[in-house]
Amino acid sequence: MSTSSVSKGCFVFKPSAKKKKTLSLEDHFIHGCEGADESKTRFNQCQDLWDQIKTDTELLQDELNTKILDSLLDFTRKCSSTRQHNDWASHMRASEIPTAALVLGVNVPDHDMTFQSLSELLRQSVTPHVASVQAKECGALKHLIKRVLERLLGTDVTVDDDEEEETEQTSAPLHKSVHCSLSTLCDWYTMNTKKSYSLTPGKKRSSPVKDDLQQPPIVIIFKDLEAFNARVLQDFILICSRYIERLPLMFIFGIATSPSTIQHMLPHSVSSLLCIELFQSLSCTQHLATVIDKLILTTHFPFKLNGKVMQVLISIFLYHDFSVRNFIKGVQLALLEHFHSQPLSVLCCRKKEALLNVMQLGHQDLERIRQLPSFKRYVEKQEPQEQEHLLTDDTHLKEVCRRLIKDLRKYHKHYYPTLRCLHTLTSSLPRYPLGKQIRELHLICLEKNVWENEEYQSAMKLLKMMAKDELISLLKKCAEILQHSKSKNMKSALLLLEAMLAKFKQLDTVVAEPPPPAEESITSPVKNLQKKMDLFQLQKALLEMNESRRSKKLSPFEVLRNEALQFIDSLVQSHLSPPESQTLYEVCYYSSSATVRRHLNAAPRTSIQAALNSPFYYLQNDRLKSEDGSVSNAAPDICIVYKLHLECGRLINLFDWLEAFATVVSAAEGNDPDSDSFGKVDDVKHARFIRAVSELEFLGFIKSTKQKTDHVARITWGGC
Amino acid sequence: MSKRKVNDAPLPVGTCISEVQDILRKRLCHQQLPDTPEGVQAQHKHLLELLKRTAIHGESNSVLIVGPRGSGKTMLLKCVLRDLLEEKEVERNLLQVHLNGLLQTDDRIALQEMTRQLHLENVVGDKVFGSFAENLSFLLEALKKGDRSSSRPVLFVLDEFDLFAHHKNQTLLYNLFDVSQSAQAPVAVVGVTCRLDVLELLEKRVKSRFSHRQIHLLSNPTFSQYLERVQTQLSLQDDFPDKTFAQDWNASVKTLCEDKSVEDALQRHYNSSKNFRSNHMLLMLCLSRVSVANPAIKPADLLEASKMCLIDAQANMLHGLSILELCLIIAMKHLNDVYEGEPFNLQMVHNEFKKFLQRKSNSMYNFEQPVIMKAFEHLQQLEMIRPVDSSSVKTQREYQLMRLMLDNTQVMEALQKYPQCPTDIKQWAMSAYG
Amino acid sequence: MSALLQQPGYEEERLQTVSKKLPCREVQAGMLLSLMGQPHQYSYPSIFIYGHQSSGKSHVLNVLLKELELPHATVSFVECVSVALLFEQVLLSFFGCDAASLLPRSPSLSDFVRIYRQQSSQSPAKQTRYIVMEKAELLRDSDANLLPALLRLQELVEDNVTVILLSEIVWDRFRPNTGCFEPLLLHFPDYSKGELQHILAQDRNPSYSDEFYSAYINILLGVFYSVCRDLRELRHLAALNFSKFCEPLAEGKVKETDTHKLWRNIEPHLKKAMQTVYLREVSSLQWEQMQQMEEKENGAVRGLSAHTHVELPYYSKFLLIAAYLASFNPARTDKRFFVKHHGKIKKTNFLKKNEKTSNHLLGPKPFPLDRLLAIFYSVVDSRVAPTASIFSQISSLVTLQLLTQVSHGDQIDAPKYKCAVSMDFICAISRTVNFEIIKYLYDFL
Repeated sequence: MSTSSVSKGCFVFKPSAKKKKTLSLEDHFIHGCEGADESKTRFNQCQDLWDQIKTDTELLQDELNTKILDSLLDFTRKCSSTRQHNDWASHMRASEIPTAALVLGVNVPDHDMTFQSLSELLRQSVTPHVASVQAKECGALKHLIKRVLERLLGTDVTVDDDEEEETEQTSAPLHKSVHCSLSTLCDWYTMNTKKSYSLTPGKKRSSPVKDDLQQPPIVIIFKDLEAFNARVLQDFILICSRYIERLPLMFIFGIATSPSTIQHMLPHSVSSLLCIELFQSLSCTQHLATVIDKLILTTHFPFKLNGKVMQVLISIFLYHDFSVRNFIKGVQLALLEHFHSQPLSVLCCRKKEALLNVMQLGHQDLERIRQLPSFKRYVEKQEPQEQEHLLTDDTHLKEVCRRLIKDLRKYHKHYYPTLRCLHTLTSSLPRYPLGKQIRELHLICLEKNVWENEEYQSAMKLLKMMAKDELISLLKKCAEILQHSKSKNMKSALLLLEAMLAKFKQLDTVVAEPPPPAEESITSPVKNLQKKMDLFQLQKALLEMNESRRSKKLSPFEVLRNEALQFIDSLVQSHLSPPESQTLYEVCYYSSSATVRRHLNAAPRTSIQAALNSPFYYLQNDRLKSEDGSVSNAAPDICIVYKLHLECGRLINLFDWLEAFATVVSAAEGNDPDSDSFGKVDDVKHARFIRAVSELEFLGFIKSTKQKTDHVARITWGGC
Repeated sequence: MSKRKVNDAPLPVGTCISEVQDILRKRLCHQQLPDTPEGVQAQHKHLLELLKRTAIHGESNSVLIVGPRGSGKTMLLKCVLRDLLEEKEVERNLLQVHLNGLLQTDDRIALQEMTRQLHLENVVGDKVFGSFAENLSFLLEALKKGDRSSSRPVLFVLDEFDLFAHHKNQTLLYNLFDVSQSAQAPVAVVGVTCRLDVLELLEKRVKSRFSHRQIHLLSNPTFSQYLERVQTQLSLQDDFPDKTFAQDWNASVKTLCEDKSVEDALQRHYNSSKNFRSNHMLLMLCLSRVSVANPAIKPADLLEASKMCLIDAQANMLHGLSILELCLIIAMKHLNDVYEGEPFNLQMVHNEFKKFLQRKSNSMYNFEQPVIMKAFEHLQQLEMIRPVDSSSVKTQREYQLMRLMLDNTQVMEALQKYPQCPTDIKQWAMSAYG
Repeated sequence: MSALLQQPGYEEERLQTVSKKLPCREVQAGMLLSLMGQPHQYSYPSIFIYGHQSSGKSHVLNVLLKELELPHATVSFVECVSVALLFEQVLLSFFGCDAASLLPRSPSLSDFVRIYRQQSSQSPAKQTRYIVMEKAELLRDSDANLLPALLRLQELVEDNVTVILLSEIVWDRFRPNTGCFEPLLLHFPDYSKGELQHILAQDRNPSYSDEFYSAYINILLGVFYSVCRDLRELRHLAALNFSKFCEPLAEGKVKETDTHKLWRNIEPHLKKAMQTVYLREVSSLQWEQMQQMEEKENGAVRGLSAHTHVELPYYSKFLLIAAYLASFNPARTDKRFFVKHHGKIKKTNFLKKNEKTSNHLLGPKPFPLDRLLAIFYSVVDSRVAPTASIFSQISSLVTLQLLTQVSHGDQIDAPKYKCAVSMDFICAISRTVNFEIIKYLYDFL
């Protein structure tokens, strides 16, 4: 995985030898986690969930990429086919190397998968000759050519990168005699194609495409164009262009930033040898939207994130990296944390297992349940002897839990469709009072009761003055959404909605016969107003109108509209309450955002400074406790030195520094200030000072400077 | 081939011409040795004596032949060797080792080459030697073996001597000179170099072991000698199969050399460079014009040839530039004038160019930035402009600092020569400030 | 014209075919031929041919050597990632593969010369052997001895061999400082407009009349000649635009002879081509598709440089903006721009433009990391924790070539950067985060 992304710092790089036995993994999990008794089951649940999530996301990625990949494949086919026929123009044309500029966006870590599947597809459908190279393995032209040759001549054995590594060693002696020049490749290719003419029928069947184009193109994929050395690239292209007559070469440039980088990297004399076609992959934000849609906003996964955690993950995505992969990693972390820290997460699984597990619950767990704040709230709502029961009778509690779990599931069943409906209604409103993306709306709903915040109110107001056809189309959409959900309430809701729609239909027929002139005079300006000005001022305008129309009787359409909106509102009120309101929500919701942030978005610098400023915070030694934030002179040397250096300017005179240090230290040793030995620099102090300073330098707070020999310079941001 | 038929039966012109071509080309292109090296008799005698002493009396020796390129060092040496080998005894005994600084780029390779040239590969086999000296002495020892007790004299010729001085602590030179000092085996070391300061290159220990014999070939002939040489170079020997043709040819050559315009042309060459090579080139160009249709070198041919030799290549290239590129060059020239040859970048040049365009009414030259960029790149490709710092990938192209590698006179005369160059551009170039 | 191509020792018809294949290059071909002399005769040890791109240097040589069946080895030095390749190719084409196989693993010059000598002594040259080196300018970058050695190869291998170097760069830039064997210089002048016309007109579309096509070529040259004289380019352009040129004919609007109408039809089209295809903004394939399409849709295909928009994470955008400000503003002005309540700074000494030219003319200046972050924290609206990801973003921007690190890798404690994005790029970026950057740029006060 490449580190050249906006999200590099946030990765956990697993060492290549990561093949650990799951058992040991499990031990890691069980070790030091709450309620170790059924931690095993929790671990398994966690595993299963994660695997499911992983597979789903991978599927998702493929779906998302299919479009662009298909167009790429078409491009390659077209190029290889155009090579064959030769009319006047094509043979007049200076032969260029067909090149696909594949713009993938700055989220480099996500690219690997794309390229993986791309080369797979190419191998399957277009050509067996695919070589993909990365910048970091091609420092010089020699290496680049070497890599390409290795991957091409060895393609039939190598499939993916890891294997390639070992095949390199094996194939190195094999290719020793071969000079790394394209002429070698040329010979090899001609030989190969000759062979492919006389293919054994069995092999033919395996790759039917090769028959129609007997010259499969040679595709070279440059995974990260920006990172390549321009000089190397230029030379390589020059060489290739000399062979283009004999070799059907093809390039694919993986571009992170923008296609114009090609022109920045290659002089025109070189880029004129390429025939560049542009392919834009869909933006990572869309990507994230789909992932959230399929991963978070579904009932498939019992595991949920609460608002804060969501917020953290999303903000990491938006502010720091655009990497979907990291987002998913974040989810994984949360998942792990949840199952590891929350014993009751044993109930966080499919309905059936959950109900079973409830019966398995031991007394201790039930106690834990009783401790849950949400459960406490629930209890308080019951009448006294029921409370009695709940707090004492385990079996009864289990029963209740089963019911509660079911309720929780129901809640989810209702929540998501409603959420979608609301989003469909509000997402098209001007200024997006409830957010453009569904994730924003989701966040709002997770925070608190949606219907209580004024954005919602304003949204409703805007809806209240929506034109008929618009409204109907939106409502239709909602109906579609509701159709997908199985639960009873939703079904009933659907029925209601459809009824309304039907009414709207009738309305048309009603309106057909001459309507009362009164509303005519009002609605028509509304209509053309909407056309003209921004809906937002319109809102005010219309509010006045409403005032004026209080007295007047509403038109049947408006009546219906209000009904519909009331209905929606009721839906929202009943189903979009935040999860905290649900009993036993702790089982499914992971809520410690701090942990996630600490793991995914670490701030080493600040922690170091914290440690140096207040060693007590880490050492927990009372002698270090110091009021007014100043470091007690008993603190470790480095803290003292640090403190002192904070008081200096950009250049620090080492001797003065030493003096100050000595005084502080001797004060710590409790020598009386009057004695002449006070603050004397002896060898020990000197040594301690030197060590502390060098430590500080190592941490990147200071560096030696050439301006003055006996001074050091302060660095503000070094060492990060 | 044609030595045998000495009868004066006149041959057809075609054969004669090709004969002439053969002979003269051997002279001019293949550095065929003259019978007597003219102009350097003294050095010849000196060197011959020196080598004789080694070859016959078994004295060791070391000498440097120093002279500018194309002054006939190698020619001298070859002549000497030829004459030396005429003596039977020498021819029997003397072993030669020819090394060239261009080829034997380090001592390991040099040693291999030596072994090969002394035909000792099988003797050495795959022995491993502690040091270079050990190896060398072994080689010399190996030479001792054989019929005679006393070892055979070895002649080491080091062409491009100065390059050997760059080898790692000059082991080869040290040892060779060392051998030539001590009386191990009769060795003559002849270095050939074009660097007059070559001794400064030598380390102390090496220098001390070198007998400071130098043979200088600072050939600066008088113009008359130069003319003489030209004539001899061109004229045929009397062993030419067709006597009459030979006479005609020589006569024509004589007349050629007496021609006034030719003399001026040669004078120009003489002033620029007096050495053999350049004049070989000139004569070669003349010779190439000789054909059946044109069976003798006319003054015109020589003038043409000299023109070809003296032409300014850079101007030729400028002639091929597009208007736009030329405009950019002019802009750069102006920048150079204004900022006293400070380096500039594309932005500045473009600005300068824009200024010019603004002053003009019609706008046939205002192209977009990319087109200009392309032209700019082309100029860089032709190395008419050079980036100041080599790290070209680092900075954006439009901001990379450049230097113009032409001087104003070149630009101006290129403008004069330029095919249908618009007058306004000419004026712009003339104008003191852009 | 073929009178120039007369040289005893070659068959007439061969020479005829050669002269046919080399339109407008008879002079140079004749010159070369006369220098080569008869096959068995010696030729000058090294010839240096220079001339502009596609002025027919290698073409002439290839035709000559191939048609006259002279022993030759043609090597383009770009391919020679290692000199071994060069040696191998030469030996291969002169003495066959077994000779080439004699070369050791990483051969030195002396190995090459030794083997060459062996081989040539076994099979001495009956005809002059020619080694043609294209892109000779790259010889300078490789081993310092290679060029001088090649120039005097004839002397070194004592064989009848001539080395011919081809380059776009004049010999003066080649000459090593200690001098070397001077090659014989030969210039290939660029084609004149007439010659271009003549050559281009030769490959006419079979389905159209001669004068029609030449008229087309005439128009084409009229547009492009002022910027481009590269035959290859021009031929390419001619091929691309010809169909468009013929359109009115196909529609039967105009007759072949009506040049002016045709001109009016094609001229704007060519002008467009100048900005698109000629710069490879639009690939030739797209260009052809565009011609199929109607005029109105033509706008749809945008050039490469049109797509400059880059999606960046929020903080990366601000980092980039900060970097831009840091590299285009003089450091002394930071106080005024970014310190909230900067004391009284006298307008005079602040606004004194002691720089002769504006910073946007001189290009970006390097700046230390500290300054970048200081500006970053003052321009970014919310308060940002200095997390690791912020710093990783900087290095990522470097790998994306939006920033460039100028200081060397060894001083990691105080790195220096430059901003490598254009003005309008940064403007676009800052618009997305509605930060009006112009207000903060010293040049635009």
